[in-house]
Amino acid sequence: MQKKGKQQRTDPRLKKCPMCEHYAKYIDYKDYPVMKPFIDYFGNIRQRYYTGICLKHQKMLRTAVQRARFMGMMAYRK
Amino acid sequence: MNRMPDDDTIIGEADTRLYECCVLYPHPIPQKEEKELLESVEEIFEEAKARQVAKDLWGRRGLAYPIKGYTEGSFAVYHYEMDPSAVKETNRSLQIAQGILRHLLIKPPKGFQITKFSESYEKWLKERESEEDRKIAGKEEELKKKVAEKAKRQVKKAEEEKKIKIQETADKPVAEDKLAEELEKLISSDELDF
Repeated sequence: MQKKGKQQRTDPRLKKCPMCEHYAKYIDYKDYPVMKPFIDYFGNIRQRYYTGICLKHQKMLRTAVQRARFMGMMAYRK
Repeated sequence: MNRMPDDDTIIGEADTRLYECCVLYPHPIPQKEEKELLESVEEIFEEAKARQVAKDLWGRRGLAYPIKGYTEGSFAVYHYEMDPSAVKETNRSLQIAQGILRHLLIKPPKGFQITKFSESYEKWLKERESEEDRKIAGKEEELKKKVAEKAKRQVKKAEEEKKIKIQETADKPVAEDKLAEELEKLISSDELDF
């Protein structure tokens, strides 16, 4: 039984993948504005739990971020 | 095991596929050297008999972290159609090539569309700047409002204080006069009495 009046959070399962909404097939490492919202202040990739991105796109994002970091477009650590 | 041949194996020797190459070189270098450097990169691909599909020069960009002491660099993005067997060699020769800070040779996925990011990035930068300007302007307006309110309040306070002072000053002489008059009366009455 859930008590009323206590913390009411939206179910993380109800979040929709922001990449799937745009039908993204590929995340480009050169596209900084697209990757930016998924990176936190310290330059780490945000957890899937918080962004709501799906696993498929999270993996794409990971490779894109790794490539961008290697090319000096994105910081490893701020 | 009876496996179906992969796509790569189906592709014959004569077939080519699309590759993307991104080259990073230091920014503050003379134009002549820059030209020579880019030509040398293109030569490496020409040796592998690659066909250039697209070329995108980004120009000056700040680096996220210093690479070999350089905090600024220029990017050049090439799209080449070339033989998959020649990739390893070109990658190796790019590693050896002088004047290049970093390079990345990757295989874009199927259905990849070439987009030029040099323009979109500038657009995004401008948008962000305008947004930041708006934010700064908003903050300044808030500050101005606060300052104006404070000034108003101070003026009000000063006026109230003045009023009180005026009242006090107005009250005091009357009181003093009254006192003096009463004293005089008393004195006079006393004098009369005595």
